[in-house]
Amino acid sequence: MSSELPYDPEIPDLRENDPEDIEDDEIPGTGSVTGSGDAAIPGLDDCADPALCAYTEYVEGAEVEDLPATGEGAEGVEVDVWDALYGVEDPEMPVSIVDLGLVYGVEVTDRVDEGVHAEVLMTLTYSGCPARDMLTDEVERAVAGVEGVESVDLRLVWSPEWSIEMVTERGKADLNEFGLSV
Amino acid sequence: MASAERLAGPDDLSEEEREAVETLLYRLADDEFVTAERYTEWQVRAPTLESDLALANIAQDELGHARLWYDLLQDFGPDEPDLIWERPADEWRHAALAELPYGEGDWADPILRSYLYDVAEELRLEALADSSYARIRDRVGKIRGEEDYHREHAENWLERLAEDDESRERVQTALDRLFPYALTLFAPTDEEVEERIDELGLRTESLADMREAWFDTVVPYLEGLGLDVDADADLPDDIGRGESHTDDWDDLWDEFTNTYRELGRSEATRIMKDPDEVK
Repeated sequence: MSSELPYDPEIPDLRENDPEDIEDDEIPGTGSVTGSGDAAIPGLDDCADPALCAYTEYVEGAEVEDLPATGEGAEGVEVDVWDALYGVEDPEMPVSIVDLGLVYGVEVTDRVDEGVHAEVLMTLTYSGCPARDMLTDEVERAVAGVEGVESVDLRLVWSPEWSIEMVTERGKADLNEFGLSV
Repeated sequence: MASAERLAGPDDLSEEEREAVETLLYRLADDEFVTAERYTEWQVRAPTLESDLALANIAQDELGHARLWYDLLQDFGPDEPDLIWERPADEWRHAALAELPYGEGDWADPILRSYLYDVAEELRLEALADSSYARIRDRVGKIRGEEDYHREHAENWLERLAEDDESRERVQTALDRLFPYALTLFAPTDEEVEERIDELGLRTESLADMREAWFDTVVPYLEGLGLDVDADADLPDDIGRGESHTDDWDDLWDEFTNTYRELGRSEATRIMKDPDEVK
């Protein structure tokens, strides 16, 4: 699987840290992340009234501070990386993956071996997403195509979990346009 | 339960820690994969279109969860063919419940099996929520968020099936057959390693504690539906895990690895080539 890159001890890897121990400024491209996955999702357990087809019910998620990450305030090459990410759409809906809230952070650094290196932290809406490789390949290609970027790492993360709260206002408008009410 | 000391990342574990992490992950991943593999047999055969879609959807969820656990095994080196397509049948670590074939045309079987499995899975995920291994802990929330519907679906059907004498009788027959196998969900892969899994805080409830909690949930529930539960049932001869599997497992394994072997594959094939590589 090329989509999730092999663990490399040279690269600071947030995956091995306890989320509670990660300082805000260690998370690429974001300020702070709270509610690191332990928080119960409000509304999931209080379905007192049975409803048809509960599976497709849109359940509101916990709001995670500083997510969605949108690239606001980015500088230099990071701006171009964000632009490239905005150009990648979800395989099933005409909405940018950034507006869908799938991108958790971008960090561009200058590395001795790899030159200008872009690291993208992202998640997927669904663990069983059949388009996982297709989408992660597309993201890697899009970022690799940014002028000035010489190497790319895409890290798939599952915490905090994606929820409908992470869709941006523009993402909601795009989804409405597509016929999905959010 | 207070959490044990946090473990390091995949490259910095001691031999003993790594063995414990791997043992736990193989249990989790293989249970999900094989359970899903069986569910898919109901595609286009379930009693109603909606139930067909529901079970297919549940199968897809479980495959997604299997992938999240296999990802973590890949941290230690093996790739997808090593983990799935080329792994010998006798090296799989799922519980025998997952591999049993369904009674032909017996819808009570997948429904009851799903109920027994999903209650166990809920307990298992709860016991992983505060795992000492961050890579596991970080995935539990996502999986739990996708599990609620499974048990709801099974209970909903069980309650309907229990309303009528004839269909309740079918559930009873499935229960008599499946209950001993459901106990294999809590069977150890290797006693000594299972103890280490608990000591290292990889999971915060032991298999024995989860088994007890499972009994406390499923027995009263099933009895409440007018079913008889043989709570003293013994484990079946073949329990899966690190021990012997049923012959049905060999058949199932043959089937899902058949295409890979027939086509002489040596790597997992992608549906679409990377456009950059074709140019």
